[in-house]
Amino acid sequence: MTGEEIVEKVKAGLADSIQETSLPQGDAVVFVAPDSLPAVAEFLKNDPELKFDYLSDIRGVDYLLEEREPRFEAVYQLYSIDHQHSVRVRVGIDEDNPTVPTVSNLWKGALYPEQELFDMFGINVEGHPKMERLIMPKDWEGFPLRKDYPLTTETVAFSHNRDFKSELVKSKPPTR
Amino acid sequence: MSVTDQGLLQRDKDTMTLNMGPQHPSTHGVFRVILEMDGEVVKTAEPEIGYLHTGIEKTSENKRYVHVIPMTDRLDYLNPPGNNLAFCLSTEKLLGVNIPDRANALRVIMCELSRIASHLVWLGTHALDIGAMTVFLYCWREREMILDLNEEISGVRMMTSYIRVGGVAKDATRPWLDGIRDFIEYFPAKVDEYERLLTKNPIWLDRTEGVGTFTREEAINWSLSGPALRASGVNWDIRKSQPYSGYENYDFDIPVYSNGDIFDRYRVRVEEMRQSRSIIKQALESLPDGPYKDPDNKVSLPPRETLHTSMEALIHHFKLVSEGITVPVGETYVPIEGARGEVGFYIVSDGTNVPARVKLRAPSFMAIPGMCKMMEGCYIADVVGIIGSIDIVMGEVDR
Repeated sequence: MTGEEIVEKVKAGLADSIQETSLPQGDAVVFVAPDSLPAVAEFLKNDPELKFDYLSDIRGVDYLLEEREPRFEAVYQLYSIDHQHSVRVRVGIDEDNPTVPTVSNLWKGALYPEQELFDMFGINVEGHPKMERLIMPKDWEGFPLRKDYPLTTETVAFSHNRDFKSELVKSKPPTR
Repeated sequence: MSVTDQGLLQRDKDTMTLNMGPQHPSTHGVFRVILEMDGEVVKTAEPEIGYLHTGIEKTSENKRYVHVIPMTDRLDYLNPPGNNLAFCLSTEKLLGVNIPDRANALRVIMCELSRIASHLVWLGTHALDIGAMTVFLYCWREREMILDLNEEISGVRMMTSYIRVGGVAKDATRPWLDGIRDFIEYFPAKVDEYERLLTKNPIWLDRTEGVGTFTREEAINWSLSGPALRASGVNWDIRKSQPYSGYENYDFDIPVYSNGDIFDRYRVRVEEMRQSRSIIKQALESLPDGPYKDPDNKVSLPPRETLHTSMEALIHHFKLVSEGITVPVGETYVPIEGARGEVGFYIVSDGTNVPARVKLRAPSFMAIPGMCKMMEGCYIADVVGIIGSIDIVMGEVDR
């Protein structure tokens, strides 16, 4: 199916759960709220005409600098091995309560990228069997891929002003 | 973290906890797996990653598009042109650039050469893990020729950064083309040689046949891709299903086997080397003339000699070098078939010359949970074979 047909089909099957659809450069993109993600995912996987049986990837995006509401987004890239078409599901996630339901009950391949979502963005995945750090050390503080996480910090090796040493540690602006 | 925290010293169980890696020669990098053993049989396998985390995705969000390309080389360091191509295709899709035919053909040649080089490393190390030393030496001999060809065209043996946004870095040279012609004449006999050493070797068969099996449904559900997926009977190759860079113009087969064990993964990759050689041959024979990069100077640098005569060229050159490419607002993803499976960059652009988000879809990263699932119920000696057959590269797992 082409991108347009996929979007039409999803709209017809799940009118209530879909927030919006778009077709950037011909790719089918569906916008979904976190609450309706399990129903949408199940429909996309089990509908015989769509049959998205392969989960390519899940990515987190932080739209802090663009001041977009909601701030975070989880993007699911799905592919159908039989029909050879793909769809992108974008789930907006609120800053105050960053949670999203798991899809690992449908696609086992989601286990790792969902854990990475927590590790890098601090997005809690509800129902995930192992919600802990994946790439960063277990005792790491902060979520590195958030836009307000500094790129590098300059450590002060030596200072006469010992009491204020921690204040001298500052975020280094990126060089472009 | 101490050993007691991870339960390595618990003594109230009948099983033994065995730590493997991160410093272990057969984990192909710094992969660590904690095995729960019942005698010689693996009960559960718990992967641990992150030992090679370099923050390339975070760094990419603070570098211009051109500067990201050399970093993509370091992700999957056995197949750098594939990563370059994946990043460039996503950027080009946002920019709406048309790539000249010659550039596409050069990209295909480079990617297929590197696929052969990557499979040679896999075959050599995988055979070495299982105990066949000779294959390793033979594979390195042929890989060296490909690295010499890389050096001829790009000046670097491994991290080529040859594929750029809008085309390739420089035009094909005569010694490079001659070297490839010699290589594709020489190579088929060598693949037969590897097969003579392994395919009917009873020790090899005992160690690989029926070990680490994954059914078609399991392989799809656990998001395996590339050769590991095709060994489980799934006929899916992105070069055929979503052709890019003119792969639709070449005639080649996709090897598919259905047992899903280590031996079938071996057969898929060996046959892929033959097919890649055939693609290179066709691309060389039909190599079109014309520009090797997009003539639009908004994306690629104007030729050096025009800078002295053309004001336009000088302005474009200055803007590109000092400011870089400005990419329109949008988000996109273009998958390609890398040596290990589906590789692609998800790029979010905020309309500036720096990407807002760069996310690599790494086949090794996605395959690790499935790989550890395969280990359950296997013998400890087969763990090494299973890790080798999936062909993980830790550079792209930890990023």
